[in-house]
Amino acid sequence: MKYVLGRLGQAAAVLLAAFTVAFVLLQAMPGDALMIKFENPELGLSPDQIAALRVAYGADTPLPIQYVHSLLGFLGGDFGYSIQSGTPVKQLLAEVVPGTLLLASLGFVAAVLLAVGITILANLPGLRRIADVFRALPSLFVAVPVFWLGIVLIQVFSFQLRLIPVVNPGPVEGLILPVLTLAVPISAPLAQILIRSVDDVLGYPFVAVVRARGAGPWWILSKNVARNAVLPAFTMAGVLFGELIGGAVVTETVFGRAGVGRLTEQAVSQQDTPILLAVVLLSATVFVVINLVVDLLYPVLDPRLGARKRGIARISRERKVVAV
Amino acid sequence: MPSPRRLIAGLATATVLALALAGCSANASTPGSGSSSETGKPVTGGSLVYLEHQAITGLYPPGAGFYPNGGIVNNIADRLVYQDPKTLEFEPWIATKWESNADATEYTFTIRDGVTFSDGTPLDAAVVAKNFDLYGLGDAARGLTVSEAINNYQSSEVVDKNTVKFHFSAPSPGFLQATSTINSGLLSSKTLDLPFEKFGPGNAANIIGSGPFTVDNEKIGTGLDLVARKDYKWAPKSWSNQGRPYLDKIQITVTPEASVRVGALLSGQAGLIRDVEAQDEKQVTDAGFQVYAAQTNGVNNGLSLRFRNEKLSDIRVRQALIAGIDREELVKTIYTKNYPLATSVLSKTALGYVDTKDAFAYDPKKAATLLDEAGWKLGSNGIREKDGQPLTLVVNEAAPQPRSFDALTLVSQQLKKIGVDLQILKADAGTYAKAIQDANQVQIYHSMVGRADLDVIKSQFYSKNRNTLLNRDNADQSIGDPKLEELLQAVASTADPKARIEASQTVQKYLADQAYVIPFFEEPQVFATANFVHGFSSESVGRPSFDAVWVDKQ
Amino acid sequence: MSVNERETRASSLPDPFVPIRRSLRERIGRPKVSVVLSVVWLLIVIAWAIIPQAFTPLDPIAGNAAQAQQPPSLEHLFGTDATGRDMFTRVVYGSINSLSGALIAVSVGFVIGTAIGVIAGSSRRILDDILMRIVDVFLAIPSLLLSLSIIILLGFGTAQAAIAVGFTSVAAFARLSRSEVVRVRGSDYVEAAFASGGRFPVVLWRHVLPNSLTAVLALAALQFGTAVLSISTLGFLGYGAPPPTPEWGLMIAEGRNYIATAWWLTTLPGAVVVLVVLAANRVSAAIAAKGRIS
Repeated sequence: MKYVLGRLGQAAAVLLAAFTVAFVLLQAMPGDALMIKFENPELGLSPDQIAALRVAYGADTPLPIQYVHSLLGFLGGDFGYSIQSGTPVKQLLAEVVPGTLLLASLGFVAAVLLAVGITILANLPGLRRIADVFRALPSLFVAVPVFWLGIVLIQVFSFQLRLIPVVNPGPVEGLILPVLTLAVPISAPLAQILIRSVDDVLGYPFVAVVRARGAGPWWILSKNVARNAVLPAFTMAGVLFGELIGGAVVTETVFGRAGVGRLTEQAVSQQDTPILLAVVLLSATVFVVINLVVDLLYPVLDPRLGARKRGIARISRERKVVAV
Repeated sequence: MPSPRRLIAGLATATVLALALAGCSANASTPGSGSSSETGKPVTGGSLVYLEHQAITGLYPPGAGFYPNGGIVNNIADRLVYQDPKTLEFEPWIATKWESNADATEYTFTIRDGVTFSDGTPLDAAVVAKNFDLYGLGDAARGLTVSEAINNYQSSEVVDKNTVKFHFSAPSPGFLQATSTINSGLLSSKTLDLPFEKFGPGNAANIIGSGPFTVDNEKIGTGLDLVARKDYKWAPKSWSNQGRPYLDKIQITVTPEASVRVGALLSGQAGLIRDVEAQDEKQVTDAGFQVYAAQTNGVNNGLSLRFRNEKLSDIRVRQALIAGIDREELVKTIYTKNYPLATSVLSKTALGYVDTKDAFAYDPKKAATLLDEAGWKLGSNGIREKDGQPLTLVVNEAAPQPRSFDALTLVSQQLKKIGVDLQILKADAGTYAKAIQDANQVQIYHSMVGRADLDVIKSQFYSKNRNTLLNRDNADQSIGDPKLEELLQAVASTADPKARIEASQTVQKYLADQAYVIPFFEEPQVFATANFVHGFSSESVGRPSFDAVWVDKQ
Repeated sequence: MSVNERETRASSLPDPFVPIRRSLRERIGRPKVSVVLSVVWLLIVIAWAIIPQAFTPLDPIAGNAAQAQQPPSLEHLFGTDATGRDMFTRVVYGSINSLSGALIAVSVGFVIGTAIGVIAGSSRRILDDILMRIVDVFLAIPSLLLSLSIIILLGFGTAQAAIAVGFTSVAAFARLSRSEVVRVRGSDYVEAAFASGGRFPVVLWRHVLPNSLTAVLALAALQFGTAVLSISTLGFLGYGAPPPTPEWGLMIAEGRNYIATAWWLTTLPGAVVVLVVLAANRVSAAIAAKGRIS
């Protein structure tokens, strides 16, 4: 219990630190959102008009006060308004978060399936001759730029073969290509871990013993792949989630989907601080929660670790994460 | 043992991908729909998918200069008068008559009877007055800006239910045209009470106008639907459709990637797309689709040479830059025939245009001589120097303009040949916003502005508007060339129409003589339509008008 | 590892739960063709970076507008771009920017990350916790936001983008090096070194670090390829190198608008990047394999 409380306290500290780092980072940028918005020559505003608008927006409030103000606002659940568009940040997030969550979780599931598939194909006795092709796939997958992959998938499947529309697609159709685009680069490190761990396991002498007792290669493979897939996939979920949001920006742009990634990218370019602080808080919360859950569930999922000390469990988790 | 097969396998897969891609380019196929001629009988009903480049940022009309905003405002809000995009003549729309006094300080409009906003409230003189009080004066407390198109606005006066009068502190000859622009879209009284936030994305359906369409089904960042107003019957006389819009619905979908927009059109997933890049036009026409290039009738796409910067303060240096740029090669290499070579700072189709093309002739020898005379000698690395300073100039990448980056890249290659080092500024919005306001950071400014009024030249160069030449220094507010200020003021405040045209021509000649500008081309808005789409047109600065668009029953 | 090798390993039966150590002959082994090919390819690319003029007589910045957008030919191996510049020349001259960018990115992640990880791994519980929570903060802020903000703060450019990309890998390096240090610290020979009176910094330097670094180096080689791609993605989002510098990532990103009309503009630089990343991964795997043997 003390451990859980300690972890919760650390999690809260991480959240506050992430919020503060983001606030400082955003304030340090050249110019500000009002300048980008109103000093755009296309609006043709005179200097006096711009000055009046800046006063109206409270741009002259000292920074520490702004910090405390927005921190208190966030604690009270008030995320403020986008400076650029004036839309409440809550509304913006409500509009994009479900889509991104769906895309990210499906992308993640697809990545795990893809990785398991590659691992099985790379180890199937019947496919030995071309096993190396499958073994090269993960390297290839990480080597292809995501935006390029997305554009090529659209060109081929939507424009040439006309199988799936990209413009106003149905809810299911609209997810196929984006999920694939997102899954490919994420499946690569997973597949690499899997192939390596299966290799390791197949190298253990006990496999030969099992085999000698008459177990087929399928049996060994499915047992091992299944067991070896769950842990790293689960562990990676925590770290990869932030990555998924980042990776999603490209997918979202190419496929014209609304999402947290695109919202973030646009808000950064317009220095729309309220949106960005909310995004940071959101992603930090997701990160902290997933990690907390992973930490607490780790012993449950890996019986070998259950008996040992938790400290070792954590070390082993971190090793697995970075083995990526 | 690991074998070379692993690497070769990777290579093979990469090649397959590359080939698949090459295949894409090889056969741009023709669309499945049967095409029909433009003269068929319009069909009522149906819907159209329109692919936009960017999402809307807000529907406050004075901020409708941002293209996607203007595209919506043009279709949901009517204007007092209508300006024919071809002849640029005015005709009645919401105002049936108008008149102004001799010095253009007083305008009186008679408002049509029976026009209603889409929320049912009547459009009368009082609400018109309320509209222009806001657009002409702004409301800083609510974050609502003044319209750039309206000059010297003072007050309104509701004479009776159908008559409204506007007063100006100084002559405002451009006001009539201003009432026809998207920046003066008429909104309901309730809408005008909204704070800035409520004009933003997510609230588009609550922006109430009297136009042929209303907004529905908005999804922030990805698009919205325009739905026909079945009771719309106050279209300007010259519109081919006098009744309700032919289409029931236009689905506007944001599709940022240019290649996806074109591919979607060619594969039959969309009926209309905006921002067809020059290099894609051929692909569209080869497939039997139509390219529609709408002229923007204003200040041409081109460069403003900021003469208050030390390096550019010498007219010989500015003349050398003009002579060192091969504009014809630029237009031919980067653009298409829809981008006509500029012959003045204004477009040929703009009001008051006068030909000054001789001032922009390409002559690299003359350029070299001028630079030599100005004391810029060729250095060892091929870049000219004076007092140990290299002749390095910075130009901004104009992100909203078509292929600005490619164009400037080519210009910098051309200028390299006469020993000028031209660098292109590419930066984040904050850094960019600061840099373009400072002639020491950005000496050459790439931009354009579309507006079908003589005022447009003032909008671009006047110290208190876009100030692209930075004639007003932002640091000390001083004016570098008072004569230019005076000439621009004359355009905006001369009441006599003929004298006003002359004033504009004087400015055009002055800009050319002083070598302040290098116009490139007359910038169009390029759309492409599928063959089943008919009746597409745009207003005077290239915003789409959907009222008369119809589609074949398929 | 090939299938044959696995079978050889599986056929002998010593202690059931310890992987078999390979023989010395196996350890040195035949030269692996794929590794050799990868190294040769990387050397060529490095040569492009050092002496580009030896590979192409043309200028990467000055183009010939009359020859704009030509498909690949003998004269222009990779075709020409919209302003008539030779794409092969731009790829060759771009290698210095892309490679140094990737190098900077990896160095930033490697140096900062490993420093944090090693200190955390060799410190007491409290400092360890504090450092690793700082790493968590890095992970908690979306890497996209982090890298874009850093670029905006530092200004546009390959080096700046590289630093931004590097920062996003600090956490990975920190976590890996920390766990390696903890693992090695607990091993018998380090215990022995302490037992025989070794002082902590000395033991750390002489025994712990050398044995922890193989895995970290493998990650570094892997990150090298990832960095090239990340810089390219930043170019796609409009945060790339300033013009007219040729840089691979930006070339791919900007060529994408021509994917249906001039496929070579994005595909050929893309193929070069794919090959570099594949080669870097192959070398990384080789380093990792070596680590597992010794």
